[in-house]
Amino acid sequence: MLAYIGRRIAVMLVILFGSSFLIYNAAAYSGDPLEGLRTSTDPKVHAKVLDLIRTLHLNVPPPARYFIWLKGIGRVFTGHLDFGRARDGTLVSTHISAAIPVTIRLILLSFILAVLFGIGFGIVSALRQYSRFDYALTFLAFLMYSLPIFWVAVLLKEYLAISFNNFLLNGTIAPIWILSASAVSGFFWAAVISGTRKKVVSIFAIAAGATAFVLVLLSVTKWFTHPGLGPIMMLVLGLGFAVGVTYLSTGIGNKAALRASITVVVIGFVLYFPVEYFLKKYASLSTVFVMLLLTLAIAIGTGYFFAKVDRRPIIRTSVITSIFVGLLFIIDKLMKTWVPYINTDAIHQRPIPTISESNNLLPSGNFWFSSLDTILHLVLPTLALILITMAAYIRYSRGTMLEVLNQDYIRTARAKGLSERTVIMRHAFRNTLIPITTILVVDFAGIMSGAIITEQIFGWRGMGSQFNQAIHTQDLNLLMGFILVTSTLVILANLVADLLYSALDPRIRVVGKK
Amino acid sequence: MKARLKTRSLVAAVSAVSVALIGFVAVPAHADTRSTVVAIESNTFTSINNITPDTNIVINGDVEYLTGQNFFYYDDKLNIVPNPKLATYKITKNTSTDFEVTYTVAPGRVWSDGVPITAADLLLWHVITSSDYSKAAGLGDPAGSTGAAFNSVNFGGVYDSHIAGIPTVSADQMSITFKYDSKIPDYLLNGPSFAQPVHALEELAAGKTSLGSVADGVAADAKFIADVKSKNTASLKAMGAIFSTGYNTTTVDSSTNPLLLVNNGAYRIKSVDSSQITMVASPNYNDGPPLSGITTMVIKQGIADGSPSAQALANGDADVYQGQPTADAVAQLKAIKTATVVTTASLAFEHIELRVASSGSDTYSGPFAMAGGAKAADLRKAFLLAYPRADIVDKLLKPINPNAVVLGSVINLPGNPQYAHTASLNGMGVYNKGTQASRTAAALALVKKWYPTAGKGNTPIAINLLWGSPGNTRRTSEAALIIAAEAAVGFKVTAPATAGWGGKLGATQYDAHFFIFDQTANPQDAQACGIFQSNGGSNYTGISDPAIDKACVALQAGTLPASTVTRLRIQIEQAAAKDAFFLGIFQNPNVTAYNSQLANVIPAPLSPSLFWNFQSWHF
Repeated sequence: MLAYIGRRIAVMLVILFGSSFLIYNAAAYSGDPLEGLRTSTDPKVHAKVLDLIRTLHLNVPPPARYFIWLKGIGRVFTGHLDFGRARDGTLVSTHISAAIPVTIRLILLSFILAVLFGIGFGIVSALRQYSRFDYALTFLAFLMYSLPIFWVAVLLKEYLAISFNNFLLNGTIAPIWILSASAVSGFFWAAVISGTRKKVVSIFAIAAGATAFVLVLLSVTKWFTHPGLGPIMMLVLGLGFAVGVTYLSTGIGNKAALRASITVVVIGFVLYFPVEYFLKKYASLSTVFVMLLLTLAIAIGTGYFFAKVDRRPIIRTSVITSIFVGLLFIIDKLMKTWVPYINTDAIHQRPIPTISESNNLLPSGNFWFSSLDTILHLVLPTLALILITMAAYIRYSRGTMLEVLNQDYIRTARAKGLSERTVIMRHAFRNTLIPITTILVVDFAGIMSGAIITEQIFGWRGMGSQFNQAIHTQDLNLLMGFILVTSTLVILANLVADLLYSALDPRIRVVGKK
Repeated sequence: MKARLKTRSLVAAVSAVSVALIGFVAVPAHADTRSTVVAIESNTFTSINNITPDTNIVINGDVEYLTGQNFFYYDDKLNIVPNPKLATYKITKNTSTDFEVTYTVAPGRVWSDGVPITAADLLLWHVITSSDYSKAAGLGDPAGSTGAAFNSVNFGGVYDSHIAGIPTVSADQMSITFKYDSKIPDYLLNGPSFAQPVHALEELAAGKTSLGSVADGVAADAKFIADVKSKNTASLKAMGAIFSTGYNTTTVDSSTNPLLLVNNGAYRIKSVDSSQITMVASPNYNDGPPLSGITTMVIKQGIADGSPSAQALANGDADVYQGQPTADAVAQLKAIKTATVVTTASLAFEHIELRVASSGSDTYSGPFAMAGGAKAADLRKAFLLAYPRADIVDKLLKPINPNAVVLGSVINLPGNPQYAHTASLNGMGVYNKGTQASRTAAALALVKKWYPTAGKGNTPIAINLLWGSPGNTRRTSEAALIIAAEAAVGFKVTAPATAGWGGKLGATQYDAHFFIFDQTANPQDAQACGIFQSNGGSNYTGISDPAIDKACVALQAGTLPASTVTRLRIQIEQAAAKDAFFLGIFQNPNVTAYNSQLANVIPAPLSPSLFWNFQSWHF
C-alpha cells in the first residue's frame, strides 16, 4: 500500500514536471507580454518595458526561463515555495491564496446541491425506467448538459434578477404565471408519481390546485414583499419533513421513528419564540452553531427516549428531521430580515444582484444582513452551475442504479421478502454510491480549477477568472501558479479516488508491486 | 398513503412557487435619491501608488484620481484645467539656458491626516524622476540591471534629461523652484506632481503603524528636505522600498496601516476586497472642487465587458460603465430604459503603416523600401489608396459608433478643435478624395506603371501584413477586407493572425502592420514624434525623414504658442503624407452607459476619462 502510494507520487512529480515544462513554453511562445506597451505612445512605457524585462527575466529564452521558475517551485522541499511575482509586482501566492476561498465559496454549495439533486433524480428515474418521467428527465438532462453556461447565466440574470427585482416592487403575481406554474407543477408530480390513468389525473389535479392556491394566497397577501414563515407554517412544513424523512430513513411503519421525529418538530414549534429571541439578540455564527448543537442534542435525546430496541435508525431519523427544522428557523429568520434588508440604501429595493461576491455598502456588524447578502449573491451563479453540472450526475446515477438493480444480490434481497424500501435504500442505493463517490472526488478537484466562464460572468475573482486574466495579460508566473496548484489537485484527487475505491469496494485491491 | 399524498402536494406547492418565480411583468423602476455611485471596471486594483512600472494601470490611476488632487486635469475637450485651490505655478526664468518654474502650495491645504501639504511633497518628484539624482544619492541606476531604490515609472522622460540640480525649496517650505537646462516643452505635463505624502512615507519607512501627530508630520517633511539635500542614502533607500512595493495591496480593511491611505483627494479608500473598491468622502478635503452629493464611490472590479456589464446596469447593481463592447453589447445597453448611452471616440487610433527601412540592425529590401525609389513610392501610395478604410469604418465601426469617421489626421484626432484645419492642410486628403472605386482605379494606374498586367486575378506584388492575435475578431474582419481590396490592384497580401505579434513589429519580414496606437496625454508633439521621428520609441516602419525630425526637434524645444504647435504638427503629417507610409483608419470607440438619474457624467478622451469631473456628479 505505502509502496503503491510512493510510486504514484513519484509518477505524479514526473507528470507535473513534464506538463509544466510544456505548458510554460507553449504559453511563453503564444504571446508577447509587452504587447500592450508596444502600442502605447506614452514615453513612460520605456521604464515599464525595462522593469518587466528585469523582473520577469524576459531576456532569457523561455526554455531556460522555465528553470528559473522551477527553482522557486523547487524550494517547496525547503519549505519556502516561491511561485514568483505576477506582472503587477504582487506575489503569485497572494493571488492564489485569495482566489481559493472565493472559488470554494462559489463552487461548494452548487456542487453539493448538484450532487444531491442529480443522484436523487437519477435514482428516481432508474426506478421508473422507461416511464414518462424517465423520458422527460432524460430529455431534460441532455438539454441541460448541452446548455452553454453564458447563455444560462444571461437568462437567469434577466428573469431571476432584473425582472424579479421589478416584480418585488409590487409583489402581485400575474394570472398567466399562476396558471402556467400550476400546470407545470401538476405535470411534474403526475409524471413522478405515475400510476393508473385515474391516479395520474387526480395527482395532477391535486398538485396543480395546491400550487394555484398557494400562489394566489402569496400574491394576494403580497407575501413576496413581506416574506416570512411564522410558527404555524413552520409546524406544517416540519410535520411534512418528519413524515418524509421517516419514510425514506426507516419506513413509515416504524412508529417509534415517526413519533420521535414528530416530537422533534413539536419541540421546535414550542420553542419558536425563545429561539427567535436568541437568534435576534445574539446574532452571530457562534450562536447559530450553539443552536445547532442544542438541536442535535434534543434530537438524539428524543430518539433515545422513543427507541426501545434498535436505536440507531430512530436516532438517525430524528437527527435528520431536526436539521430540517433548524434550517426552517434560519430561513424564517432570514425572511424576517428581508424587509429591513431591501430598504437599506445599499440595496435600494433590488435584492437579487447580477454581479460580485458581496455588497460591502451594507451597515457593518449585522450578522443577518451579511448572511442574507452572501446567500443572495450566491443565488444566480449557484443555480447556473447546478443546472449545467447536475445533468451528468443524473445520467450517471441512473445508469449505475440500473446496473446495481440487475445484480444477483438485489434479486436475493427481494427473494428474502425484504420491503421494496429496504431493497432500494439499503442494498441498491449504497452500492450505487461506490463508483459515484470516486467520480465526485475527481470532479471536485477539477472544479477547483474554477468555473472560468461562470466566475467571469458573475464577477467573482476566483481561480477561474484569475486564470483567464493571466492568459489575457500574458502573465506567465501567475498562469503557471494556477496551473500547478490545480493540476496537483487533480492528480492527487485521482490517487485519492483510487484508494477510496479500494476502501469502499472490497473486491478491488491496490498493489505495491506486481 | 394519504399522508404521503399530502406531503407530496405540499412539496409540489413549494417547488411550484420556485418555478413560478421565473419572469414577471416589468414594473417602472422606483425613484430615490442616493449618495452612492457604483462604477464598473474590467481590470483589478493592485496598488495605492500608481507611479511604479508595475502598478501604472488604468484602475489604479482612477482610484488615485478619486483620492488625490493635483495641479491640473484634462477636461472633455483636451484642455488643461488648473487647480489653484491646491497650488499655483509660474515661469520665473525663461532664457535659452535657464528655464525655471516655481510651484507654490496654497496655504492651509492639508493631507487627510491633517498634516499640511508643503513643497517637500513636490520635492519627492525629483527623487522619483531624476536618474542623475538617483545615481548621485546612491539609490541605484534606473536603467541598470537592478533598477533604482524608488522603482518609479517616471525615469527617462523630458524632466529626467533636462533638470538641472536639486530643486530649491523656499524658506517657508511652501514654494519650490525647478531649474531646467533649456526650455522644455509642456513644462506642466513634464513637471512635478504630487505623488505620495512625504511625511507618511517617512513614517512608514520608520516602521510606524498608526497616524502620527501634525507636528510629527511637519518634522518628517523638514527631515526629508534635509535628507534630499545631503543625499542621505540609507534614509532615502528605506523610503524607496516603501514607495516601490509597500503600497501594493489587493485588500484594504480595518487592519491596513492607515499611513498607506493618507491622501489629499475628495475621497479616501475605505475598503478594497476581491470584488470592489469602496471610497468615502474625505472630511479634510479642501484642495479641489467640492463634492456635489456623491459621498460614496464604489468601483466594482473585474467585471467583464458586454453582457455582464449591461445587465448589472439594468439591474441597478452599477450606475456607470465605460468600455469597448461589441455591437451586440451596445444594442443591449441601448435597450436599458433607465440608462443613457454615449459613444465617444477615444484617443486610441487604428492605423496602417508600411515598412520603408529596417528599424533594427538588419536591412529591409521589400517592395515598399525607401531604397526602392520611385517604384516603391508608387507602390506605397497605391497600397494606401486601395486600402478599404471607408469599408472598415462602415462595416465594423458604425454599428458601435454611428458617428465614426475615416481619420483625416492622427496628430490632431477628431474631437480636437484643430482637426478640420489639420485634415485640410496635411496632405492626407488625397487618400480620402472621391469614392473608393476612383481611389482604387488611381491605385491600379500607379501599379500598372511598373506591372502593366497587374490587376484582379494577377497579383505580382507579395505583401506580408502583421496585425494581431487570432482572438481579435474585429481585426480578423479587417484583414479579410484588406486582402480582397488590395488584390484588386495587384497586391497579394498574406495576413495570418499571429500570436505574439507585438514582438514582431520590428521584424523586417513584414512589409506592413496595422494595429492600434494609444495616446495617453496631449503634449505639444501629440506623442506622434515617437512614431514618426528617426529612432522614435514607437517607430516600427524605419522611417527617417529630415523634415519630420526637424519639426519634432522644434516641438520638443520649449513651450510654444498654440499656432506654432499646430503649424509644426501639420508639417509632420505633410511629410508623412508625402512619404506615403502611414495612414490613420479609425478611432477606437468608447461606450459610456450610466444611470439616467445620475447628472453630469461626461466622458472625456484622456485618462481619467470617465471620472474627470466626478466632483460634480449627483443624483
